[in-house]
Amino acid sequence: MKKKETTSAKTRRFITNSIVHICLAILAAVWVFPILWVVLTSFRAEKGSYTTTFLPKSYTLDNYIKLFTDTTVLDFPQMFMNTLIIAIFSCLISTFFVLSVSYCMSRLRFKMRKPYMNMAMIIGLFPGFMSMVAVYYILKAIGLSEGSMIRVALVLVYSAGTGLGFQIAKGFFDTIPKSLDEAAYLDGATKFQVFTKVTMPLSKPIIVYTVLTSFISPWVDFIFAKVICRAESKYYTVAIGLWKMLEKEYIDNWYTCFAAGAVCISIPIAALFMFMQRYYVDGLSGAVKG
Amino acid sequence: MKKKALALVLASAMVASLAGCGSSETTTAETTAETTAETTAETTAETTAEETTAAEEEEAITATITVWGPSEDQSEENGNWLPTMCEQFAAEHPNWDITFEYGVCAEGDAKAMVTQDPTAAADVYMFANDNITDLIASNGIAKLGGETAEYVQSTNSAAIVDSVSVDGDIYGVPFTTNTWYMYYDTSVFTEEDVKNLDTMLEKGVVSFPLTNSWYIQAFYVGNGCTLFGDGYDEAAGIDFSGDKAVAVTEYLVDLVANPNFVNDADGKGLSGLRDGSVNAIFSGSWDAASVKEALGDNFGAVALPTYTLNGEEKQMYAFAGSKAIGVNPNCENMQVAVALAKYLGSAEAQKAHYELRNIVPCNTELLADSSVAADAVVTAQNDTFDNTSIIQPFVAAMGNYWGPAESMGKALINGEVTHENAAEQTEAMNTTMNSDGL
Repeated sequence: MKKKETTSAKTRRFITNSIVHICLAILAAVWVFPILWVVLTSFRAEKGSYTTTFLPKSYTLDNYIKLFTDTTVLDFPQMFMNTLIIAIFSCLISTFFVLSVSYCMSRLRFKMRKPYMNMAMIIGLFPGFMSMVAVYYILKAIGLSEGSMIRVALVLVYSAGTGLGFQIAKGFFDTIPKSLDEAAYLDGATKFQVFTKVTMPLSKPIIVYTVLTSFISPWVDFIFAKVICRAESKYYTVAIGLWKMLEKEYIDNWYTCFAAGAVCISIPIAALFMFMQRYYVDGLSGAVKG
Repeated sequence: MKKKALALVLASAMVASLAGCGSSETTTAETTAETTAETTAETTAETTAEETTAAEEEEAITATITVWGPSEDQSEENGNWLPTMCEQFAAEHPNWDITFEYGVCAEGDAKAMVTQDPTAAADVYMFANDNITDLIASNGIAKLGGETAEYVQSTNSAAIVDSVSVDGDIYGVPFTTNTWYMYYDTSVFTEEDVKNLDTMLEKGVVSFPLTNSWYIQAFYVGNGCTLFGDGYDEAAGIDFSGDKAVAVTEYLVDLVANPNFVNDADGKGLSGLRDGSVNAIFSGSWDAASVKEALGDNFGAVALPTYTLNGEEKQMYAFAGSKAIGVNPNCENMQVAVALAKYLGSAEAQKAHYELRNIVPCNTELLADSSVAADAVVTAQNDTFDNTSIIQPFVAAMGNYWGPAESMGKALINGEVTHENAAEQTEAMNTTMNSDGL
């Protein structure tokens, strides 16, 4: 009798687990399929935007070759470099902004602190592109809307406002014991030294997070790039280029290259992530000794 | 205290400098606005155009002209049409020292790109004629007068001139027509077959973009439905109502049910031509090269066929428009810009455009040229423009047409529209097309 009970419990557990796993497998497949499809399409040898089969019939590297060599109409390598440069600079600047603002909000006490945090919260609720026309005219007024200054303008656009997104990093800094700061002050450290020598080394995960999010934004932003670059195709970013590839005139020839371009964009982002991933683990381990 | 004072000084300095910036900026903006308003409103465009003819020995002008056109026109691979033509233009005017700057803006995007900031847009640009209303509204396009206008009138058919005119004023120098027609596989259909859609459907597979509102009106207009009267009368509204429209909806329900009909969406038609599962598609000159590659020797292009509605043959009508060269009224050297626009739309430039990029010319003399007339694509496009198309209305209310028409196409494909509710659905479509709400 007793034995029978255990078997039925076992079977029941087995059945529940199976159902759960099947559900998870289906969800995972649903989630991964679009990505897999884009990757497969980027290697598709058949031309055109529509195929009757889900999987390509034959594979080729030509799409990638065309993407990087056929530059007379859509200069993808140029766009890629533009975006990379913009991404690197805006990543550096906005990471500095975010961490500085977060540190101030977390550690310093001043009159405007609460009002500022409320204000940032409210402003953050509005979509950024609401201000795009205003941003364009301001950039034009200070002479950043033409020629090579467009890159500077884009770096500004992607980095200047990031100080408002301090909430997550501030929340992280709040968890670092204040006693560490106080110990440093006793040793004669300035506020900036505490920030760079004590807080920063303890906040690697959040730095990684900030770097990644600010590096990604120029790659995925379309609206600001379109408004600011206008007709200056030399300064287009990849987002505009990929959008162009799907225009009526290009879609038939460029559709598979579009998929290839989408795959290429993920490379720098993935590389940065892999490089920074190891810092995710560190965290607070070994911060306070003894 | 000291610190506060310093902060104050710094702050006020900043404010002052900002204010300084602002005021100087506004004054210049105002003055330019005034001068352009004065010049553009009536005089400049016309006088400058006249001047160019009057003064044979041109005065010396140093000018920087910004020109926007699609990127294919500026690529080495496609013959570099735009820069070549601009250089030739400069060579023809030795007294003018012109520096050209080029930007990329496809004709259909002119509406968005120029109106975003007309003062910083190109001096001379290419636009699709349905952009005209928006360009005028934002003061982004100048009226052409005098000799340039006469040139446009004398070298183009009346329909093309109308397509770039608003209230009798000409706004651009047309260089090509813009419409869609039929590509077919000559091994499946004979020349007789392609005259009627229903005959074709018996013999082979036909793909038509029914879910695209730039195409679906072909059937409705064919049975007497109208858009803004003759296309220019905004008050007349869209008339897709009554028995004539319902009959078309009923026809389309049957068409969708026909196994030989394929709805052309997401490139299905073209990919079908490649693998042979589709024998005819409806598209424009932008797909000509791909279709030629897919069909090879069996390539055929022809104006739109008729369709048989309750035993009667009805002609399908495409939307047609033109692409033209426009001049920005905010431009500093009107005289040069207008002359350049005229040159880029001239027979010579159109010929080069055709040879380099297969852009179908619209200059009447050039069309008579035997080498151009022999091209199937040119013939198909021009036959369509002349006989089986209506000018795509560009009155502001036209904006209300696209959404409901597309919904109708989608509902037909989904099977939501049936013979039972065709009347009701058609009436609903007509009502939304004629209302300003979304």
